[in-house]
Amino acid sequence: MGKIHAYLGIDVGSISTKGVIIDKQNNILASEYIWTQGDPIGAVKKLVGLLEKQFDREQYKVVATGTTGSARKLVGTVVGATMVKNEITAHAVGTTTFYPEVRTILEIGGQDSKIILVENGVAVDYAMNTLCAAGTGAFLSSQAKRLGIEVEEIGDFALKSKHPTQIAARCTVFAESDLVHKIQMGHPREDIIAGVCNAVAANYMNNVGKGKKISSPVVFQGGVSKNKGVVAAFEKMLGCKVIVDTNGHLMGALGAAILARRSSKRQEFDFSMEDMEFYTREASCGRCPNNCEIICVYRDGQLIDSWGNRCDRGAVKI
Amino acid sequence: MKKKLTIGLPRAMLYYRYSTLWQSFFESLGAEVIKSNPTDKKILDEGTALCVDEACLSEKIFLGHVKALVERCDYILVPRVSSFGHKRMMCARFEAMPDIVCNVFRNEPQKFLTYNLDVILNQDEKKAFLEMGQQLGFGKKEVKKAYAAAKTAEQRQWKQQVAEQEALYKTDGIKILVAAHSYVIEDPYLGKPVLDILRELGVTPIRADIVEREPAVKRSTSVSPTIKWEMSREIVGSLAVHKDKVAGVILLSAFPCGPDSMVNEIIQRRIKGVPMLNLTLDAQSGTAGVETRLESFVDIIHFKEGTL
Repeated sequence: MGKIHAYLGIDVGSISTKGVIIDKQNNILASEYIWTQGDPIGAVKKLVGLLEKQFDREQYKVVATGTTGSARKLVGTVVGATMVKNEITAHAVGTTTFYPEVRTILEIGGQDSKIILVENGVAVDYAMNTLCAAGTGAFLSSQAKRLGIEVEEIGDFALKSKHPTQIAARCTVFAESDLVHKIQMGHPREDIIAGVCNAVAANYMNNVGKGKKISSPVVFQGGVSKNKGVVAAFEKMLGCKVIVDTNGHLMGALGAAILARRSSKRQEFDFSMEDMEFYTREASCGRCPNNCEIICVYRDGQLIDSWGNRCDRGAVKI
Repeated sequence: MKKKLTIGLPRAMLYYRYSTLWQSFFESLGAEVIKSNPTDKKILDEGTALCVDEACLSEKIFLGHVKALVERCDYILVPRVSSFGHKRMMCARFEAMPDIVCNVFRNEPQKFLTYNLDVILNQDEKKAFLEMGQQLGFGKKEVKKAYAAAKTAEQRQWKQQVAEQEALYKTDGIKILVAAHSYVIEDPYLGKPVLDILRELGVTPIRADIVEREPAVKRSTSVSPTIKWEMSREIVGSLAVHKDKVAGVILLSAFPCGPDSMVNEIIQRRIKGVPMLNLTLDAQSGTAGVETRLESFVDIIHFKEGTL
């Protein structure tokens, strides 16, 4: 008899790469969370290898693949995705599937942050940070490094603080100089760290959350939701409980898998891609003053896709 | 035979508001009009190099276009457009433009042509054009006639453009109102790719700035009575009139635009009941951030309408 159908979702963000395989009932058959480390293709190959170990290939087969996150296009080409979707939609789909009651989704990732307002299971409004990474995970990681702690430890440090330091929240550059000043003034480290967490939450509310009516239940996700200090800052600021799902970091990948399942496109996923050689090359078009940067993707030495050209003059023949 | 007078029009900023008026005026006077090529990366880079860092992207692009015309024509037109009446101002960049250009290009052997539109100081468009024509050595009568012809051509063309946009509100499918200054939305390097992406996503973008101006300016007071800038008022009024006819609104701005930074805040606080996306364009060459935001915005609208 045929194998049971399963669906793969991959979310490749600037900081972390997430993968999940689900069945028709959205049960998680395999999941993994690793660092992207500036190499999305390498991260995905590693991810696929890790997922394969958890996955029962005797019983199931992956019939559709969805990719999301900032590297969705590149990774979608590499894995032969049947669905490539932006991370906002993927998160909305993932979260409303698991929390049909949700009214507000807060999300802070490595380089962007967004808010999605939901009514009756349908996203009705959203906002995303403008092209500026203030108050996102990237800010937390760089500040953790400055303070000599691991980014994973920030939460525990922050919760120890009784008097969080006030840190300017509007702009990361100002926040950083403010922070350096406070360090040199002798503020205790845990107070500074708690201040950084408050600054992230305050920045979020002043930026994407501005003017939005936030109703409970509130779900907080994205990599930064793993930081207990920021969760506590949000709860204090909003005056309500903030739900962080244990699989919150996987919501984008889950959404991508669900979207792949819902779409009619089918293409069995080939786990052997982890052994293939992928590389990218950047070419300058040079056919007009725009000089577009064209990205070419190769599999085992063969060009499989390209993008980045503003017009047909830069189209690469495959 | 006397060589034909050539006037250069930088294809940026107010060009997108006045190109028909300008071209028709100068051609009626028997001059030849040459335009800089549509914005590309080279124009932006050269403009950026000539400009102070704090200026808006559109001004940088403008200086790039001026440079592209230097020594290719007798005069380059750089008008000073300051006000259309009480509480009907233009951004200070338009007021300062001739001074900035003359200063930036002070070492070039290039002549610039300007006219001064400042209704508060009793200097309306007709008067301004009359002075400009006479400055070029044409007779008063000749200039008056050229201005009248140019104004007719402008109005005819504008009426047609407005009718085309109005027709779009009656089309089927998802319609998105894009609120941006004409020099942002029509620029092939800035706003045009945004419109192209929207069309690729299967929605109909409609321009808020193409609207009957007088009624729109009046209507804008229902959103805020104190908006200072004329072009912002037109857009705000257009949003107030049209917001119920579209599925979403995109506020498109070129960084760092002073008027937009204030007016877009007002719009977001005062105009409710329609999904809104605030999109700021920067000089960065990648379109990934813009694509993500547009795609997700369209998805949310599909989501809302149950068509995702």
